[in-house]
Order: sequence, then C-alpha cells, then structure tokens
Amino acid sequence: MGPREILNGLRAAHGEGIQRADIPSDTRLYLFVDRGALPSICRTVFRDLDARYVISIGADDRPYSGSFMVAHDFAFDRDHVLCSILADVPADDPTVPSITPDVPAASWAEREIRDLVGIEPVGHRYLKRLVLPDGWPEGVHPLRKDFAWDTVPEDYDEDRPFRFDDPPEGCTVVPFGPFHPTLDEPAHFRLYVEGEMVRGCEYRGFMAHRGIEKLAESVLGYNDIPFMAERICGICGCVHSVAYCQAVESAVGIKPPPRAELIRTVMLEIERLHSHLLWVGLACHIVGFDTLFMQSFRIREPLMWIAERICGNRKTYGLCLVGGVRHDITPEIADELRGVLGTLTSEWRDVVKAVSRDRNIQSRTEGIGVADPALVKEMGIIGPVARAAGVAMDVRKDHPYAAYDRVHFRVITASGCDVWSRVLVRMEEVFESVGIIQQCLDHLEPGPLQSPLDDTLPVGRIGLSSVEAPRGESHHFLITGENNRPRRWRVRAPTYQNLQGVPSMIRDQRLADMTIALGSIDPCFSCTDRLETVEIATGKLQMWSPEEIATLASPAPGVSTPEVHRR
Amino acid sequence: MSDWGLALRQVGIAAVNVLCVILAAPLAEGLLRKVTARIQSRQGPPIIQPYLDLMKLLGKEDVESGETPVMQRLAALLAPAAVLTAACMTPMGLRAPLGPWTDVVVLVYVITLCGISTLLAGLSAGSTYSLLGVSREMMAMMALEPILAVMLIAGSLQVGSLRLDDVLSGSVYGSGGFAWSGLILLCVMALAFQAMVQRMPYDTSEAETELMEGPIAEYSGPKLAMFKFAQMAKLVVYGGIAVGLFVPWGSDGPLWLAWPVFWLKLVALIIVVTLIAATHARVRIDQAVRRYGALLAVALVALVLAGMGK
Repeated sequence: MGPREILNGLRAAHGEGIQRADIPSDTRLYLFVDRGALPSICRTVFRDLDARYVISIGADDRPYSGSFMVAHDFAFDRDHVLCSILADVPADDPTVPSITPDVPAASWAEREIRDLVGIEPVGHRYLKRLVLPDGWPEGVHPLRKDFAWDTVPEDYDEDRPFRFDDPPEGCTVVPFGPFHPTLDEPAHFRLYVEGEMVRGCEYRGFMAHRGIEKLAESVLGYNDIPFMAERICGICGCVHSVAYCQAVESAVGIKPPPRAELIRTVMLEIERLHSHLLWVGLACHIVGFDTLFMQSFRIREPLMWIAERICGNRKTYGLCLVGGVRHDITPEIADELRGVLGTLTSEWRDVVKAVSRDRNIQSRTEGIGVADPALVKEMGIIGPVARAAGVAMDVRKDHPYAAYDRVHFRVITASGCDVWSRVLVRMEEVFESVGIIQQCLDHLEPGPLQSPLDDTLPVGRIGLSSVEAPRGESHHFLITGENNRPRRWRVRAPTYQNLQGVPSMIRDQRLADMTIALGSIDPCFSCTDRLETVEIATGKLQMWSPEEIATLASPAPGVSTPEVHRR
Repeated sequence: MSDWGLALRQVGIAAVNVLCVILAAPLAEGLLRKVTARIQSRQGPPIIQPYLDLMKLLGKEDVESGETPVMQRLAALLAPAAVLTAACMTPMGLRAPLGPWTDVVVLVYVITLCGISTLLAGLSAGSTYSLLGVSREMMAMMALEPILAVMLIAGSLQVGSLRLDDVLSGSVYGSGGFAWSGLILLCVMALAFQAMVQRMPYDTSEAETELMEGPIAEYSGPKLAMFKFAQMAKLVVYGGIAVGLFVPWGSDGPLWLAWPVFWLKLVALIIVVTLIAATHARVRIDQAVRRYGALLAVALVALVLAGMGK
C-alpha cells in the first residue's frame, strides 16, 4: 500500500475533514486537515490502519500564515511511508482537540506543545507541565516566534520547587533522582513504593534544556545546524546530524552522492557499535558485574580510535552537511577499519558467550521491565525495546535511508519482552552492524562527497526523516524557512517515547529492579530534554575570551603557546 | 606460670592480633582490588592504596549529618570496635588470645554487633535509601548470623566444649576421625562466606547502583574511614574464623610454622573471594534471602547430625 492508497482510504472515511494532501514521493504523505477532524483521522490511522505513532509537533506559523499549526506524525512501517497530519489552529483560539484519548503515546508531545507553543490540547486528561519548570510564568511560551531566544521572563522564579502529585494510599515515596549513580544525567522519578515493591511513579525531567531547536529557528543557518544537532546527544550525535540533514534533503529534494551515503552509513554503524558495547557494559555494571563492564569498554576502545582516525574525534564526528559529508574514508583507513572489526567480532563473541552463560545476569533480568507488544503499540515504543518484544521494527529496513537499501542485514528480534531479551537483541545486533560496515566498505566507489547546494533553499516545504539510532528511531520534522534557516525543526529522540513506557514497565516490580529496568531502555535524558530555551544560557553562562580559554588549556612547560586568533 | 603471667601473655597475643588485623586489613583490600583489576584487564591501584584512602578520609573534615548525629558517630565507632574485639578472640596463627575468659557464645554476640552497627548507621541517617539498606541488612542478618552460630555450635557439640581454642581448630570435623556434618557445613560456609563479608554477589545492602551505598550513604570523612576499615577488617577476621573452623591443618605446629601458614591460608581465601566477586553479578535481595534460608536449613540439618555425633 503506497501513500496514494492510504490517502484514498482516508478520503473515503473522512472525506470532508481532509482539505488537501501532498505526496512528494512514494514514501511521504502530508495530509492537511481540519483541526476538528484530527482525533477521528488519527484514530483511523492509529487503530484501523495500524500505523505507529511517532510524534506531535506544534509550531507558531503566525508570521507566515496567520495561524498556529499542529502536526501528528505517524509511520506506516509495513508500507514504508512516513505520514504527517497537519492542521491549522486559529491565532485567536489556540486550542486543538487532544488525540491522547485515542493515541496514548501522544501524551507527552501534547503537553509539550501546550508548554512551549501555548496550544491547549482539549480533552487531555493530565495537563501538568512537562517541559517548563513550575516557576515559569503562565502564558509565556518559548517557542512562539514573538519570544526572542535570549529572553528571561521578568517574573521567572528559578527556585520554585516542583509541585508533585500525592502518592497513592499506603505507599511511601522513594526519590529516584534528580541525581543517582546510575542515572548519569538529571531526571527525577518519584517512586511510590510499598515495601520493596514499586506501585507507580511520577516523572519530572527536562532539567537540562539547552534550547537547541529555538536556536536553530532563530540564530543558526542550515549548515550550522548539523553540528548543533550532533551535540543533542553524547552517544548518538551522528544520528541526529544525519537525521537533520536528511530532513532538509527530503524537504527540498536534494540527493547526496552515493559515496556520501555509504560513508554516512559506515559512521552510523560505528556509532551503533560503540553504543551497543557501552550499553551492554553498563547493563552489566547495573547488576553489579563490573568485570564484563570493563571488558566491554576495552573492546570498544579501538572503535573510538578508528572514529578519531576518520574524522579527528572519538565522538562528535562533525560528519554531515546538507547534501553530503565532510570526511572521506581512504583505502588505508578502510583496511584499518576492517582489522578493527575483525578483532571486535572475535572478542565480542567471548563476551556474548560469557553473558549468555551467566545465571545471575539472567535471573536479574528475566521477567524484569516487561514491555509487551500491546504496550509497544500504545506508547509508541521503538528500537531494541520493541524488537525485544517481538515487534520487527527497524527504520533501517522500514524506511531505508542513506545506503541501507544497498546492504543486507537481519532485524534481530526476541520474544521475552523483558530486559534479558533487550540484552540479547543488542548483543546480536553488534554482529549485524559489523556486516553492514564491511558491505559498505566493499561498495565504496570513487566519487564526490557533496551534492551542489543552491544558495537559497525553497521556503515552506516540509521534511520528515527517521534514523535508527542505537536505542531506537530518531525522528526529525522540519519546515524550511527564510533567512537560510528552518522555520520549525522538531527532534524526537527515541527516549522520548520509550521513557513514557517506563511507568508501566516498573509497576509491581521490586525497587532493586528499577535501575536495570530503566537502564534497559538506555535512556538519554539530554536527547529528551533537548528543547526549551533560555534561562541557563543567558542567566549563568560565563563567556570566555579566546585568551582565557588558552590559559585554561595551559601547555606543558617549554611548549610554545599556539597563537590565539582574535575575533 | 602464675595467673598474672598467663594474663599478660594472653593480652599480649590479643594485642598482636589486633595489630595484625589493623595492618593486614587494608593490605587484604589492596590485594583484592589488584586481583580484581587484573581480571578486568586493568592496571589497578597500588596494593597500598587502601591505606592512603583511609588516611585521606581520616584527614577530612568531620561533618555531622543525618537525623541523629550522636548515633551516627556511635555506629561508626561500634563497627571497627566490634570487629577488632572479635579479632581479640579469634586464633590467628597464635592460640585464641582471650581464650580462658571468653567462649563461642560471646564471639557470636560480638559478631552480631558488627551487623547492629550497620543498622544503627542506616537508622541514624534516616533517608529513604539508607532505611531500605537497613531493611535489607536486617533480612540478611536474620539468616546469616544463625548460620555462623550453627557452625560454631556444631563444632562445640563435636568437641564438647565452648572454649574458642577447642572450637576454632577444625572442631566441625569431630575430635577423632571424620564427621559428615563437618563436610556439609564446609559446603555451606563456601556458599555463605561471600555474603558474610558482604562482597559481590551479595553486597545487596549497599548496592551502589541500587541504593547508593545504603546505610552508609550519609557518612563521610573520618567516620566513613571507620566504616570502610571495619569492612576491610571483617574480611580478615571472618576469614580467620572460617580458617579456624574449617581449615585447621598446620595450625597446631610450632609457632614459626603455624603463624605464616595461617596467613597464607587467609591470603588464599581472600583470592578466592575476589575471584567469585569479580565474576558474578549481584543477586537481588529476595533471591539472596531465599538462598540464605536454604543454607540455614542445610546448616540446621548438619547441626542435628553433629548432635548425633556424625
């Protein structure tokens, strides 16, 4: 079923609600609908057509069309179609009927729209603030275009404590976070605990907002954003940078040259390898098996070195530009990479054997943090968590990008739905990634790295892009705009959806299993918290002059200081 | 020898024991860390690192925190005091120091005090995580302390004496010949020792990644040093008791032989503990308590056997 058939089906059911549709390619479908028809259309798409919920986006379109805009993104994984359902929202009545009663996975996204764009989702049952802190004044919405990126509202009360819900009867509250040795990033779970059993929790995150999307919409240019996108996440940065570039490319119809696509694929898989090795190590550390943690990290290290050989950095590769890549893989590096992969494969086999044999790890992870296919569907859970529940969902296969249509690999699934299955899935995926890189290296033909880019990209086009990050699908939504930058860019990292499944995954489990259950989705709070704006950036950031930075990195005695270029 | 001469000699031995434990405990920890590091393909810290750690902690500011600082301080002192008192009673290459004046029952009480100090520490902090650690520690104590008591009593039954000298010299195997109950208890000890000294896979009450150190979460500086030291010393003293009960061979020789042989056995035991700790994942508290319960049941069967002289 292609986008045209999907559209015809929807027209037959909701003819009057659909204003117009745009089918720019066989893999994209943009539906422009009445806002009143959103819930019923989304219900049909989500329930009857069994599409996967991806994300909802709110945008302030007033300077261009005079109204706000809401979009709900869905993925038809079997049909290889990404779909966006868009509706205009009048500027004088910023409300939209909520789709959360029909699509539970949209809960956070709608709360976020309410916080940041100020569009009220009518019918949403839990309209607590999600992103904005409690001390933020009412009626101030950072992602509105009339809110400058460097504003701090006058009456912002930074010290106001969060208002939490009351715990259920008979439960005590165990604070898990904001800082906890296994979290590594700030996030706050208030666990409702009965004895050692967790009965529920309230999540308060979004404490590390950096205002990346706002910056992109107001300060940066098209080709600055890939480097900013890369800094969304410390683990899967390349994923975000590729996803952003692809979103722009899909919006304006640029195709990067084949060699660039292969190099993107290689780097994405190197990133997946290092992330999988790191995560398996961390999972072992959480259940107290530090020896395997250390061995995983030892095995992972050569990957970091080869990444540094390719692009000069262990992480944050600085690889992508719109329409191509910046680094080439020379034949020498390709040979080195093949060697690294050979060693890695044999060493990783030993780790897989050790983990599979270990009865303690199994008894700690079997039946823990269960996310069954029903939860996967309802919460839009993705990546290894979904695959461990037997849902063969992998963006690399379902919505091929870069060079994934040119390589062969298996989608690893397991059926246990628990942490143990996630461990198995991610351990096995390592071997598939190695295979993908080897095939890409074999396919590498000489050619350009960059497609020519017109100075001005067309305005007002929509781009969707999904990339399979190590932890699941990263989805980017983008509307091109004036001044060499997008009007709206929405990043949906995998943790955003997976984290919404955690309360169900830890309910009625032991407190001791909380860390491994949470760890099993490989949460990335910096990805999830990416949004928001201002307060930290302008309030506290200390500006360093180049001279001061030079004095910070004081060279060893006897080494001459490199000349500092003044701006 | 006169009474006074005997007393002086025994106190002297006790002092030697305490000194040995104070000196050897950090070294044992250092050895443990080094071996662990090697298993993990790491260089590892120098073997004297635990001394330096303790010195550093001792030199830090003594901060009072938690709900009841007085109890917190008391708990921090009780922990090493209890372990070192146990050291005064355990034969460690020399004959049981305070032998004539104490017996097995006192030893069991003193060892229970070690656990109590952890409970006090957790209660004095009053935070949720330390209280969780306390509840876990209590569950573990209720199963583990009886196991040790059962072993000591089985030994006493075999030799018909409560004197430490008699019991802590391979008594579980019976005075003459060989007792099956002893062999069963040896197996139980092999499985339970890791838990008694709170090493992986049984460090459930502290479990850094779950409970953030549990009961001792509120400790810092000199008080933390006391607890850390108590934990290191526990490994040595409990090791001494285990060696005395189950691996007596060579200990009845002349002093120049018995003393080094004892410490060699202890080093071997510590290396075994390290190997197990480095190659196992932490069990969950309910899994752990179930295992302790099973071990206790087996130990009780062995006690009945020992009562029948088998």
